[in-house]
Amino acid sequence: MSLITLRDLTRHYPRGVVALDGLTLELEPGIIGLVGANGAGKTTLIKILLGLLEPTSGDASVMDLDVRTEGMTIRQFVGYMPEYDCLPPDTSATDFVTHMARMSGLPSTAARERTAEVLRHVGLYEERYRAIGGYSTGMKQRVKLAQALVHDPRLLLLDEPTNGLDPAGRDEMLALVRRTGTEFGIAVIVASHLLGEIERVCDFLVAIDAGRLIQAAPLGAFTERTGVLAVEVEEGEVALAAALVARGLHAVADGRTILIAIADDRPYDIVRDAVAELGLPLVRLEQRRQSLEDLFRDEVYAPPPEAVPPASGGATR
Amino acid sequence: MSGVQAPPAGGAATTASGPGGSIYDLGYQSYDGPRLGRRSAVQALFWQTVRACFGIGRGGRAKIAPFTLAALAILPAILAVGFSALAAQAGPAGGAIENASPIRYETYHGLVGVLIGLFCAAQAPELFGRDQRYSVLPLYFSRVLTRTDYALAKVGGLMIALLAVELAPYIVLFVGRVLVAPDPATGLTDEIGAVPRFLLQGVLVAGLLGGLASVIAAWTPRRAYATAAIIAVLIIPPIIVALVGQLTNQDLARAIVLFSPSDILDGTNAAIFGSIPDSPVVASVDLPGWAYLAAAAIGITASIGLTIRRYQRIAT
Repeated sequence: MSLITLRDLTRHYPRGVVALDGLTLELEPGIIGLVGANGAGKTTLIKILLGLLEPTSGDASVMDLDVRTEGMTIRQFVGYMPEYDCLPPDTSATDFVTHMARMSGLPSTAARERTAEVLRHVGLYEERYRAIGGYSTGMKQRVKLAQALVHDPRLLLLDEPTNGLDPAGRDEMLALVRRTGTEFGIAVIVASHLLGEIERVCDFLVAIDAGRLIQAAPLGAFTERTGVLAVEVEEGEVALAAALVARGLHAVADGRTILIAIADDRPYDIVRDAVAELGLPLVRLEQRRQSLEDLFRDEVYAPPPEAVPPASGGATR
Repeated sequence: MSGVQAPPAGGAATTASGPGGSIYDLGYQSYDGPRLGRRSAVQALFWQTVRACFGIGRGGRAKIAPFTLAALAILPAILAVGFSALAAQAGPAGGAIENASPIRYETYHGLVGVLIGLFCAAQAPELFGRDQRYSVLPLYFSRVLTRTDYALAKVGGLMIALLAVELAPYIVLFVGRVLVAPDPATGLTDEIGAVPRFLLQGVLVAGLLGGLASVIAAWTPRRAYATAAIIAVLIIPPIIVALVGQLTNQDLARAIVLFSPSDILDGTNAAIFGSIPDSPVVASVDLPGWAYLAAAAIGITASIGLTIRRYQRIAT
């Protein structure tokens, strides 16, 4: 069974705005990242998958159910966490999530049991009996996730789940999303404009821009070409770069930092030996992954001002 | 090992045994029970709306307004029954005393109509505005009910709550008068004729006022605006109609009286009970009773339709 099938999916808004432009895609169950800049069409796609918006043309199906005709069945098995605030402040998390479970068609007893279960899962304990208005942003996001999970969906659609969270809150939310996907066997689609977050959680990435598909591939395909080791020394970076190139690495100096394309663990030893041999003061040695974003900019947008050398190709500039 | 076992990494069940017994952590449980679907969701929303009309499920403060208004609505009926009981003790002269009582089926609408209006103004904005104000609607519409289902459950819940508040005093009056009668059996035959009449008037009042309040409250997430607008719609048109009736000829008043919800219900009450309308204008324009009944029916249908349309078009 395919999770999601899109055939030439197009959605126009009034006044000529094209939110989705001929999207064709087939996705298998897993944790799927949906990345794109704000306005790329992520939310529109999610709303079409929920049957909340009609496609202008093309077809979309979720779990082999057509979104046009079987939206009701789809919504029974899909959980949705919207991007923006959607919680009434004067209700407790328990009451609210229980009500939302009933709105998904669960019987009253089951709704209460499931609410206790999911609130425990998202990490809300005693505070779940207090009014939501007094919650922190992190707790509100957990309630939003809980209401999307309470009817035990087969597919979870999360729209910017880390919106408004501080770094620690982001880490916790991403870990929760990951755990929800891996432990429960629920397929998850996470929409975000933050590639760095998505790649920590997802197995598969779908990149869209201006309503068009840029790329859809397993995360590995995105990252394997982008391993970059950054070496920072107080002095002698030119000598070090030369020494590294001499030892067969693709290294390039970028200010005081030397960027090295890596495919395996071998460069770490080479760098260690070269730095020791030259007697240089080593400040930093770190693996960079944010270059995934650079890669996107590379392919999707304008070329970056300082390009990282591709792993398979050139040497020093 | 004693104490609580940490949640397992996998979904598998784990057991921790200790001197006090065993703690089972079953991990995440998937749900295999029934999914009752759309009908169940609509019913749940409907009953939740009825309860919310009385502030049940929210804090104690939310209950003050609805219960005070409901109590005030029922109070004249209780007084009337007490009055009847005293009159019955007065013997043969009691009948004359009782006939002079101002609290009767046909006058009750005049006594509680305003209270029902205030009940709408107090509760409808909360029912309809809250989900819009806090953007909860996307959560509903991404579930198993449709926009129309949502609108109907909300309007229906408000109307049923209003019907309960409206009918309770009539029922007190009816039961009281039957029991106070010298012979309950004849009391029942005397009073039973009023039942379909007050049921019909109750349905029209709950339907028209509940429907109008729904349309207005669904249109704005702002509570204060909605409350003010509902009160205005019930109070201002009768004033205009009365002014027009006094200042111009009756033809114009006759034409616009059917656009005033309060006057329509005054008219239906007079038509149903065969009594004299409270409002002098309604009495003087001398429209046939069916005109008011038709106006009420059209108003109810239109307000339900407009509320559904509002939710069809509302952006989420």
